[in-house]
Amino acid sequence: MHPTRLLAALAVLAATVSAVPARADDVKLGSVAGATGPIAEIVAPILAARNLAAAHVNAQGGILGGNSLVLVLGDSQCDPKAAVDAAHKVVSLEQVVAVVGANCSGATNAMAQSVTIPAGIVSVSDASAAPSITALDDRDLVFRVAPSDTNKGAALARLAWDAGHRSLAVAHANDDYNSGIAEVFAATFVELGGTVTASEPHEPGKQSYRSEVAALAGAGEADALALFAYYGGSGISFLRNVLEADAFDTFLAADGMLDPSVIETLGAEALAGRLTIIQSDSDPENASLAAFAELYRAATDLDPNGPYVAHGYDATFLLALAIEKAGAADPSLISAALREIANAPGEVICPGEWEKAVALIAAGEDINYEGASGPVDFDAAGDIEGFYSINVVTPEGTFEKRPLK
Amino acid sequence: MDLGLIIYLMSLLTMGGIYAVLALGLNVQWGFTGLFNAGIAGFLAVGAYTQAILTTPIDRDHLGAYDWPIPLAMVVAMVFSAIVAFAIAKICIRLRSDYLAIATIGIAEILRLVFKNELWATNGPRGVSQIPKAFEGVRFADIDWLTGDLSGWAALRYEAVSRGWMDVPLPTPEERFLTAGLFLGMVVAIVLVLYIALEAARKSPWGRTMSAIRDNETAASAAGKDIEAFRLESFVLGAAMMGLGGAILAQYLKQIDPQVADPLTATFLVWVMLIAGGSANNKGAILGAVLMYAVWSGTEILSQKLLTFLSSDTVGLLTLAEAGEWSIRFAYLRVFLIGLILQFILQRRPQGLLPEKRPKPRPKPSPRSAPEAEKTGSTQA
Repeated sequence: MHPTRLLAALAVLAATVSAVPARADDVKLGSVAGATGPIAEIVAPILAARNLAAAHVNAQGGILGGNSLVLVLGDSQCDPKAAVDAAHKVVSLEQVVAVVGANCSGATNAMAQSVTIPAGIVSVSDASAAPSITALDDRDLVFRVAPSDTNKGAALARLAWDAGHRSLAVAHANDDYNSGIAEVFAATFVELGGTVTASEPHEPGKQSYRSEVAALAGAGEADALALFAYYGGSGISFLRNVLEADAFDTFLAADGMLDPSVIETLGAEALAGRLTIIQSDSDPENASLAAFAELYRAATDLDPNGPYVAHGYDATFLLALAIEKAGAADPSLISAALREIANAPGEVICPGEWEKAVALIAAGEDINYEGASGPVDFDAAGDIEGFYSINVVTPEGTFEKRPLK
Repeated sequence: MDLGLIIYLMSLLTMGGIYAVLALGLNVQWGFTGLFNAGIAGFLAVGAYTQAILTTPIDRDHLGAYDWPIPLAMVVAMVFSAIVAFAIAKICIRLRSDYLAIATIGIAEILRLVFKNELWATNGPRGVSQIPKAFEGVRFADIDWLTGDLSGWAALRYEAVSRGWMDVPLPTPEERFLTAGLFLGMVVAIVLVLYIALEAARKSPWGRTMSAIRDNETAASAAGKDIEAFRLESFVLGAAMMGLGGAILAQYLKQIDPQVADPLTATFLVWVMLIAGGSANNKGAILGAVLMYAVWSGTEILSQKLLTFLSSDTVGLLTLAEAGEWSIRFAYLRVFLIGLILQFILQRRPQGLLPEKRPKPRPKPSPRSAPEAEKTGSTQA
């Protein structure tokens, strides 16, 4: 085929499809996520949660007087290059009211600085935990419902100290998320008076981690191993090598490791009572989490307790509420409205309670969304404090969850 | 056309232009000389990190706070890339094509891992943030349109830096259009300058020696050419251009981390661009870069529009919830599509959209001074 003819054919196809108008009053939210790329398997359930939130809005009467809430996906691939491109598509081309995302901190940083902040668009990330996002000069436009690593790493360090550990070995996957937690974790643990015998980064995706395990085991006697990794990237392989070498008795981890496949692959008998995973979470006594878990299970066959799944729902639902509160699909009103509906005081709204929230907003009353991931009360920097729970492996091969007070 | 669409198209062209710089660099190496460089990402990363570290006004957990002027840092980024390329070329330029490919893949990975692990210099996987961007914060009032004087803007930028980065009012859509347009103008100007220079080089005795080496090394060597020196020159020149591409990319994104040097989008995609556009043809390299990037980025819009179409009230094949599920699956479509296009082009147009055009030997001024390079350059048609 002649190149010009090929080009012409492509142009005609593009024109045909884009000529079809979206429903005029659709309210568009950008949904920027690493749908492909290195953490695609973690992002898929998060996207399902975002879509569920939009489905709840649409099933319960719609937004701004009966309009549909439409999520426009932009694939950020966990890469700053792709994130900027995806953000341009949703912000400049689709002219969304606000953006949910991105997931990876590097993607969120690039997207916010290059596109959403200059355009005056609010973004709410559901999984970015890097402290550098707090430091952005963002005109109150960048929010996140995932707690910063600073908080999570410190919480896990205190947990380890309270559990009686005095010396630890630290292993972490060398990506932005896990190395950040590991850094804060080690610093806090040393501050509390503990000893870190060794801190060993490793590259995800390798076949074997025997040499890293040997280096950690050889660095001196430690009470436990703190492992920060994504289960699919390196976590399971690393833990398998540790178990084979019988190098440590007790393991601590963060929510990148929280997946049933860890127990399925390595066996409940090997992990029961030995593996503790800390998770950004909701207070289990909080009705929101139970409500969300039930709704999520009803809609998908995925696990509502997966990493940042509840956060994905909350970020989307919060933005929908903020638009309803603002009373118009106007990006400049979202930031202030978001704080009003997320923070106390006000009538408590739980996941799925869209109709109730709309009625309250229409009546002019204050609402306070209590998310599945936590109370989601934003501080001055647009961050949340976070609530944590710990998961221990039972002999039956399940995770038993306890709140961490 | 509304402003949003124009700003998006400008972002498309800007990234296309940055990829064109990379593709032109690869064209010097592969198209001209036949050097199989599979480590484009590595040189890109050297340029990007040099730019980021030299210009970023705040050193948050990394080497920096030098606050260099942007153009100077871009030149130094090229020089650093060239130095790294020179060191590598000294060791492995004599390797034949496929071995050189293996060596460069390895070197790119080494560079990426160095940037990922040297936390003190690069902040590791978290990357460098708040990188200054050329023409950022320009307002209409800052420019004297008659003389093109930007000094008003320069004063504004430095004031902004001292007050805390970005502590200036948010730009209006028209101002976003202006800054994006100026940045795009810079990228286009760079591509044009490189294009003109490379066209001149291609037609020169130097360029024809390069194609002689590519097509028949033994013959070129028999004609008295120092093959190794020419290969080294070509490798270093191409790498410097890749470094420049990285320096522009760092500004454009304002945030870089090791994922920027991801082999799929920083090496493989550039190869697809050059092959599709037509290797050894500078116009082809530019066309391939812009076209392939438009496909890479545009397929997502098309798939989103398609889903809107299918879930619209008139068609109604999908519910909104189903459209949401499908959009996740469609995200993989473009990776597939790029592969498909490469297959198609290799099958139907193995020389690319714009095949190589050999320079015509210049009319000889006198029979005695006919350079031998011309003969070797035109033996293989």
